[in-house]
Amino acid sequence: MLPVAKAELDGHEGDLLKIELNDTNRPDLWSAAGVARLLKAYWGVEAPVYDFCSTEEETFDNEGRELHVHSSVSSVRPYGIAFAAKGHTIDEQDLEALIQSQEKLCSNFGRKRKTIAMGIYRSSLIKYPVHYRGVDPDTTSFVPLGMSEKLTLREICSQHPKGKEYGPIVADSPVFPYITDDNGETLSFPPVINSARIGAVEIGDDELFLELSGTDLPDMLLAASIMACDMSDLGFDILPVKVIFPEETEFGKELTVPYYFQEPISCSLALVHKTLGEKMTGEEAVASLKRMGIYAFCSDETIYATVPEFRNDFLHPADLVEDIMIGYGLGNFEPEMPQDFTVGRLTAAEEMGRKVKDIMVGLGFQEMVYNYLGSRREYATNMEVDGKQYITIANPMSENYEMVRPSIIPSMMESESVSGHAPFPHKIFEVGKVAFLDDTDNSGTTTRNNLGFLSSDSVMGFNEVSSLVNTLMYFLGKGFSLASLDGDTRFIEGRCAAVMVGETKVGVFGEIHPKVLENWGCGMPTVACEIDLDLVMATK
Amino acid sequence: MDIDVKNLHPLEVRLLRHVSLGQNITGNGIVEELGYKVGQCNQAFSWLSAKGYLIETSRTKGVFYELTDFGREQQAKGTPAQRIFGLLANGPKSLPEIAQELNLEKSEIGSAFGQLSKSDVVCMNEENKATRKNDFLPLELEVAASLLTKGLDGEIAESSLSADEKQAMQKISKKRGAANSPFKLIEREELVFQLTGDGELARKAIFEKNITGEELGSVTTDMLSSGSWKTGAFRPYALNAPTSRLIPGRHNPYGNYLQWVKDKLCALGFEEFDGPLVENEFWNGDALFMPQFHSARDIHDVYYVKEPQHCKRIEEPWLSQVAQTHENGWKTGSRGWRYSFDHEFTRRQVLRSQGTVLSAKQLPHAKVPGKYFGVARCFRYDQVDATHGADFYQTEGIVLGDEVNLKTLLGLLKMFAEEIAGAEEVKYVPGYFPFTEPSIEVHIKHPVLGWFELGGSGIFRPEVTKALGIDVPVLAWGLGIDRMALMHLGLNDLRELFTPNIESVRTRRGN
Repeated sequence: MLPVAKAELDGHEGDLLKIELNDTNRPDLWSAAGVARLLKAYWGVEAPVYDFCSTEEETFDNEGRELHVHSSVSSVRPYGIAFAAKGHTIDEQDLEALIQSQEKLCSNFGRKRKTIAMGIYRSSLIKYPVHYRGVDPDTTSFVPLGMSEKLTLREICSQHPKGKEYGPIVADSPVFPYITDDNGETLSFPPVINSARIGAVEIGDDELFLELSGTDLPDMLLAASIMACDMSDLGFDILPVKVIFPEETEFGKELTVPYYFQEPISCSLALVHKTLGEKMTGEEAVASLKRMGIYAFCSDETIYATVPEFRNDFLHPADLVEDIMIGYGLGNFEPEMPQDFTVGRLTAAEEMGRKVKDIMVGLGFQEMVYNYLGSRREYATNMEVDGKQYITIANPMSENYEMVRPSIIPSMMESESVSGHAPFPHKIFEVGKVAFLDDTDNSGTTTRNNLGFLSSDSVMGFNEVSSLVNTLMYFLGKGFSLASLDGDTRFIEGRCAAVMVGETKVGVFGEIHPKVLENWGCGMPTVACEIDLDLVMATK
Repeated sequence: MDIDVKNLHPLEVRLLRHVSLGQNITGNGIVEELGYKVGQCNQAFSWLSAKGYLIETSRTKGVFYELTDFGREQQAKGTPAQRIFGLLANGPKSLPEIAQELNLEKSEIGSAFGQLSKSDVVCMNEENKATRKNDFLPLELEVAASLLTKGLDGEIAESSLSADEKQAMQKISKKRGAANSPFKLIEREELVFQLTGDGELARKAIFEKNITGEELGSVTTDMLSSGSWKTGAFRPYALNAPTSRLIPGRHNPYGNYLQWVKDKLCALGFEEFDGPLVENEFWNGDALFMPQFHSARDIHDVYYVKEPQHCKRIEEPWLSQVAQTHENGWKTGSRGWRYSFDHEFTRRQVLRSQGTVLSAKQLPHAKVPGKYFGVARCFRYDQVDATHGADFYQTEGIVLGDEVNLKTLLGLLKMFAEEIAGAEEVKYVPGYFPFTEPSIEVHIKHPVLGWFELGGSGIFRPEVTKALGIDVPVLAWGLGIDRMALMHLGLNDLRELFTPNIESVRTRRGN
């Protein structure tokens, strides 16, 4: 059943089910109530009516509950909205569920409280209107939840665990967001911490006030609606709060929350047919959407749907088509083979790579497959090169993976350093990618398809590797010459060469310098070669 | 016991043919009688004992004498006593004269002359010159000379010496410091074997089958050119003798597996694409309609390139079209993500984090109808462990066509499941990917691995395709073939696929 919600069972302990939710655009499913709502609709249970949302046309009576957003807060965290609820006494399970919904919405959907933070309060202690304003962090103080004495807002940022975690969101602003009731009693310092009195919801409370602050008004309204629906499902009556902004917003200067702002979505039946490959009727499409908890009707070969209060993930008609697909049941679509004839083909680099691999295997070499990330020590220091042309990662997870490999030779040297126990001779190679800086490219880097090979034994030298290069180039059908290679400190000077095809330097080879061998802890004479296969292919 | 004599080594055959039941068999005897070297003899004893054809009946300490280089020289030139005695046949000589003519040291002359005079065959005359008293060397010195000659053939066992010889040998042998002595005395245990009942059966079988131990061994060029093989029989070899290890040139089994997957996809009509390791945010995410604030595009999910931070430009019209699609949907029919597209962020360079990048990049150049695939090395900001690598391969592709739809997508997935994964059963479930709508996950029942997710797929969102100039539906798919690769190679740690350990790769088989 869970696939309907794009979810998987992650495990269970007794009565507790752990569910992994994959759709990051469906925050309404990030609570048990939300998943239950979807499954009930799918099973045909009559959908609950959420009739508490005001709209552009209809505004519910706020019965005097108001939230005033002051212009002083505009520069730091411009939006605040709220609603209230009563008529249900919360028990331990409810409290846990509310906190879970709140946390999930704020941490994921609200990007770790950056765009949405939420506070739940004891409504019975509040004198309306509630005020959301920007205040001086050094002169404003209150007793935060979890502490017993007054701290200034700035002190909270440095001393309270939540302050340390979320304080940085507002820390650079001259004023901090701050919520009080009309008596000046503190509700919270959003997005950081509630007050210890009004902000301390407990089991047994039956009147709640819920406030959201943030930077993205549509997302905040959606989060408020999701919370309202979840609480309505628990048995609460949702009570609107009128929010008065200091200036116009995209939904007006005054807004009664919960507020339904979603636009209707429609799609043609033709698009349904084309996308799903199934000639379903309008009625079937409408019934499929009903199973997804979506009210829709079909008129004039078009499906018109009302987006539920708790969703806002219909960006394109294609999104509606997907809900039709899920409601219709994936098992009801018969797989069909694509009819178009197309020609299969490998890239030229892959064809070349395979040819080269076959030659190297024939020459007695073992093919290796290496990682492409490594450390500066491996790619530069150990190779006795400066690494100036190497691609470095700005945010490495560890220094073991801080560079993209510029060459296959260090990869093979690492093999040597960990394979002293493997019977000699060692003959290894790889055909793979390397990348390094290159001004001429748009990216300032270039990725190359290279061959690298290495040979290591008690008797091993320039003549051996030169013979191998000669054989390889013969079978690749490329005439070549050798040029002296100066200043390549990876090799012994005078015992290394550049491989030239015409005027193009396509590769290098030589005896690995004893200093490099020492750096890698290798005790056998070693030769290595690296050839740029893209360049070889490009030459006549 | 089954007596199989075909696989006996010639050393065993010749020994068995030579001995008889009840006879005491000693190494010494075999060396002497069959001309074996001591090592060959010991090998034959050891093999035949292991087969149960010989049994050790006693073990005694034996004394052996080995001719030294010094003794060899004496044997060639004669002993000093012999030489002095021979020289004196021409008449008396003074000791200095003897030393000069025979080129002997004084000490050697002294000791040899002492022996001769003690045996009373020479004496000093009145002129103080040595002179013969007799025409024959004393027996003892004759015996010593004959021992030297005998010693040329190899070790002399004390047990083979006569009383006279023993007496003579004592004077010309030493246990230690034997460099100046003709013989070195060696004490060694001598083993005595007897033929067992099985040994006797084997012996009879050898005669019955007419195996001589003189059969031909390795075929030589001489044998071929002279035709000598025509007159001999070839000795059969032991089939199960241990073989030596060879280290062949080989493809890497993981590389082979990837090649196999590529060949399969080619056979199914897919054309391969490829691309650079360094990408920009535009192709890595924006072109796939992932909003720039998407959680998967966090600094903690993607590796950023330190320098150059940004690419120089993004190709038009794709940049403008994608940017507008993000902002307001452009002409794609979407409402867009409704935020202000960041034109600097989009040029930010990253290491390719998903193979789908290549699919997006292919779109502006794709043929319709067309099928494409790529096996792309990708990089993720992940802690490296048995199931996560810093870099790894993803297999991805697209199918473009006016007639492709969900049903053809399911058909395609079924084909992959059967052709590439060898699946017994296939199951589809709705999935979520930011760039496809609808999105489908395919789960398969594998004969060995059981149920697992083979891959993700879907139909590219119009926001992706239209912004990149494609007006037909595009099926997009990705296969997680790592798990199958591991099973194929008998491994259970992703890091093993990329191991630098040569021995591990050399011995890896694959299925």
